[in-house]
Amino acid sequence: MRASERARRTSSAVVLYVIILVAFQVFLITVAVEAFQTDAESLAWATAAVSVALFAAAAAFLRYLRP
Amino acid sequence: MSQRQEPIEVPVAPPWKRDFPYEALSEEEVTRREFARYLVLGAGTIAVANVGIAAWTQLRSINAGEPRAITPLADVAVGEPHLFRYPGDDDPAILVRLSDTDVVAFSQKCTHLGCVVYYEPHQERWHCPCHEGYFEVRTGNVISGPPTRPLGRIDLEVRDDGMIWALGRQT
Repeated sequence: MRASERARRTSSAVVLYVIILVAFQVFLITVAVEAFQTDAESLAWATAAVSVALFAAAAAFLRYLRP
Repeated sequence: MSQRQEPIEVPVAPPWKRDFPYEALSEEEVTRREFARYLVLGAGTIAVANVGIAAWTQLRSINAGEPRAITPLADVAVGEPHLFRYPGDDDPAILVRLSDTDVVAFSQKCTHLGCVVYYEPHQERWHCPCHEGYFEVRTGNVISGPPTRPLGRIDLEVRDDGMIWALGRQT
């Protein structure tokens, strides 16, 4: 496999991972709203922690993309 | 001495592009990296929103309420519920008079998904009609159904003038 082809596939995979992470973030915000409605503070904070971790992962994936 | 030159890669159009040789005006304006950057920016926005929601949930639950007069005890019949708002005007609450002197009150929000609970006088229990959750009338503990946490209890006091006072909410 040529280097350019490998790089293209790598960037496609990275974008796909980021899309999956963002989709999971959208799910998490529904969980946070549900926790807010039911006054479940522990669930709300756990959701926020996972959400921040996913954002950090998405930002880390961005570094693997070609400029 | 000749240096070895790297072969120049000539981009080859994929077959679909040869069969469908049309391009949108702005097709090349957003690179893959920019698209990913927008996604990460969106993920960051959602993360900030989630932290904000968690902080709001925490701050709201800290508000246990100030002592406040609810209603005269004489206005509530035995076995009858009375609806009120506590600790804030957006917080539905319900009390029920179980005997001449015994009054209990709870937040009306079900701890499952926030539906309002109602008093079932014949079974003497709280009922959430959304997903069939049941709570004990005196303690608010879960009897059955999807809720896992008891109802938020509101401490009451019947004062000498016969007025029921809410003293604070237990989370």
